[in-house]
Amino acid sequence: MAEQKLGNPAVVGLAGFGLTTMVLQFHNVGWMGLGPVVWLGLIFGGLAQMIAGLQEMKTGNNFGYCAFTGYGCFWIALTLLLVGNHYNIYISSKTDVGWFLVAWTLFTVILWVGAMRVSSALAITFTLLLIGFILLDLAHFGYPDLTVVAGYELMVTAAMAWYIMAHIIYADLFGRDVLPVGKPWIG
Amino acid sequence: MKLARTIGWAGLAFACGAAFAAMPTETDVANAEDVVNKVRAAARYLHDKGASAYADFNQKDGRWVWKDSYVFVYDCRKDRMIAHPLRPDLVGKPIMQITDNSGKYIFKDLCKAGNEPRGGWVEYSWPKPGAGRLSRKVSYATAADISFAAGIQVSAGIYDEGITLPELSKVLERLSDPAKYPAL
Repeated sequence: MAEQKLGNPAVVGLAGFGLTTMVLQFHNVGWMGLGPVVWLGLIFGGLAQMIAGLQEMKTGNNFGYCAFTGYGCFWIALTLLLVGNHYNIYISSKTDVGWFLVAWTLFTVILWVGAMRVSSALAITFTLLLIGFILLDLAHFGYPDLTVVAGYELMVTAAMAWYIMAHIIYADLFGRDVLPVGKPWIG
Repeated sequence: MKLARTIGWAGLAFACGAAFAAMPTETDVANAEDVVNKVRAAARYLHDKGASAYADFNQKDGRWVWKDSYVFVYDCRKDRMIAHPLRPDLVGKPIMQITDNSGKYIFKDLCKAGNEPRGGWVEYSWPKPGAGRLSRKVSYATAADISFAAGIQVSAGIYDEGITLPELSKVLERLSDPAKYPAL
C-alpha cells in the first residue's frame, strides 16, 4: 500500500504570515483602516498560522514549529490587544505596544540567525522582517514617521514570504524547482 | 398713568435681566489655558487608546465638547478629517483645501503648527458654535502619537476677537514649563 502524501504546513504558515503582514502595511502607509487587519490577523495570521506551526512538530522541523506558532500567537495577541483597547480591557498605550514589539524584535533576532542555515530566500525574509521590526520599534519611541517606511519595507518582507510559499507549492505542482530559494548563507 | 409707568419700568427691568442672562459668562467661554490643557489631554488619550478612541471625538455630547469649544482630530499625512463633533459632514473628507473667508488654508497652517515640539497656535475665521456667524478663532494644534499611524493631530480653539498671538505664545510657554506643569 502506497504511503499517503502529506502537505507541508509551511505553505499555510507562510500564506498567513505574508497576507496579514501585507494588510497591516497597507494600513501603516495609510491606504486602509484597521478593521481588516484585526479580523485577518485573528484568523489567518493568527489561528491558521498557529495551527500550521503546531503541525510542523510532526515534520521534525523545529524552526518552522517555533516560527509559525510564535508569529501566529503574535497576530492573535496583537489583534486582541487592539480589541481590548476598544473595550477598555487592559488598555495598551503606544508605549506598551512599543515594548511588545521590542520583545518580538529580540525573538526575531534568534530566528534570523537560524534562517541563515535554511536558504537564501528565508535569510532575506528574516533580514527584512528584523529591519521592519526595528523600524516599528523606532516609530513607537520618538520617530512616528518611520511607520510609513516600515510599511513599505514590510510589504517586501511579506512578498518574500509568499515567494517561499510559491516555491513549495510550484515545486509540488510542476514536479521541479520553478522558484529557487538559494543556498543557506551559513553552510 | 402711574400704573402704566410702573408696568413700563418693570418691562424694562425684565428685558435687561433677560439680556443679561443670555450673555455668555466667564464660565461658558473656553480660554487659552483650557484649550491647551484639553488638547494635550486628548493627545494623551489617543496615545493610550490608539485608533479605537477616534469615535469618542465624534460625540457631540462627549467630554471633548465643552464650554464654547471642542476638540477635532485630523490626519495631516493622509489629508483627512478623522473626527469632528459638530461637523460630521467633514469626517473622512480631505482637509488641506479648506479655506476661511480670507482664503487662508487653515489645515496647512494647523499641520505646520502641530508639528512644533510644543504645538502651536493658528488664527482664522470659523463659525462659533451656536452663534451662526463667522468669528475670529485661534486654535491650538499638537501631534497625537498613535500606534501604526503617522501625522495625526488634535486641535481646539478659542473664539476671541482681541487676544494676540504673542500673548497666546506666552500661555503656551508657561504651560510647557516642566517646573510648573510636569510633562503629561
